Amino acid sequence: MKHIQKGKITLIIIIGIACLALTTIMFMQFKIVNQGDINELEVMREEELRTELANWKANYEEAEMQYKQKMQTLEEYNQKEISDTETAELVKKELAQVNLLLGKTDVVGSGITITLKESQSAEAPITSDNLNMIVNSLKEAGAEAISINEERIINMSDIVLVSNSIIRVNQQRILVPYIIKAIGNQAYLESALLGNGGEADKLMKLGHDVNIEKDNRVKILKYNKDLTAKYIE
Amino acid sequence: MVLIAIIIGCLLGALIGMNAPTISYTYSSYLAIAIIAALDSVFGGIASVINKKFDMKIFISGFFGNAILAILLTILGEKLNVDIYLAAIVVFVWRMFMNLGTIRRYYVEKWTDKVKQIHEQKLDTKQNTTKDIQEKEV
Repeated sequence: MKHIQKGKITLIIIIGIACLALTTIMFMQFKIVNQGDINELEVMREEELRTELANWKANYEEAEMQYKQKMQTLEEYNQKEISDTETAELVKKELAQVNLLLGKTDVVGSGITITLKESQSAEAPITSDNLNMIVNSLKEAGAEAISINEERIINMSDIVLVSNSIIRVNQQRILVPYIIKAIGNQAYLESALLGNGGEADKLMKLGHDVNIEKDNRVKILKYNKDLTAKYIE
Repeated sequence: MVLIAIIIGCLLGALIGMNAPTISYTYSSYLAIAIIAALDSVFGGIASVINKKFDMKIFISGFFGNAILAILLTILGEKLNVDIYLAAIVVFVWRMFMNLGTIRRYYVEKWTDKVKQIHEQKLDTKQNTTKDIQEKEV
């Protein structure tokens, strides 16, 4: 009887302990499941953390890619801007050069000034041919800009004699004294006119008053007429 | 007595479990598998009591041994990158249903026996009364 009682008590104790252990871990688990915020980093499982990490990594990579793309576009814009300003400057420069060559701007430079004074006692008057010859000689000597009585000589300029007495340059009558200005190498320009067979030399021999002055700041005014093409298509 | 022990154990366990510090979520899967193993042992114990094959040593060793083994298997599975705990859950739950089936059958049979007995008793008393009446008539 005593033995049975003892066995029963141990059985009860053991069952009680088993129930205690079981409910304890069960309630602990309930607590974890209830309280554990799944989004909390500390309580996440390794796999979840891995997934989360992968997500963040993907996000990061996407953001990085977008950043790179934006940076690239920005750089492109910057480059474009730089190239735009460069082109603009280049075009400006070119335009200035073209204007210079066309004679649309006032220019200053070292050169010579030729003053022709017609003498009544000369064997022959000064004609447009003489001026043409002088201009041609100056051009040959490398003149960069030429003017006669402040009329700029450009590629379409005319030097003509009208009614045997009137000289017209750029359709404008010019009067004595004829002042021809040229910018270029002073020595070349001078020698082209004064050398043997030079036009100035010829005129001097005819008895006209020819004066050639070297000047480091010869100012030649711009061509002041319209240069718009009306017929060129 | 046993019932009282079970109730006291459950209440105490609930109190301790509610007041215990929260374990990291990482270990919750081990705890869950241990619970399943322990529950399986409990149902197995009840079934063996019904079959009159209950042994305290087997029950206790099964109760704690199964839980620890299940946890160890889960850890091993994680180390091997194989979800062994799934197999453990399947086995435990299957056994739980088997044991539950045994318990259910036992009680259903007991109930039907009782009903049968009552029915027979009623029938007996009825026959007896008819017999008495016949005897009286004779």
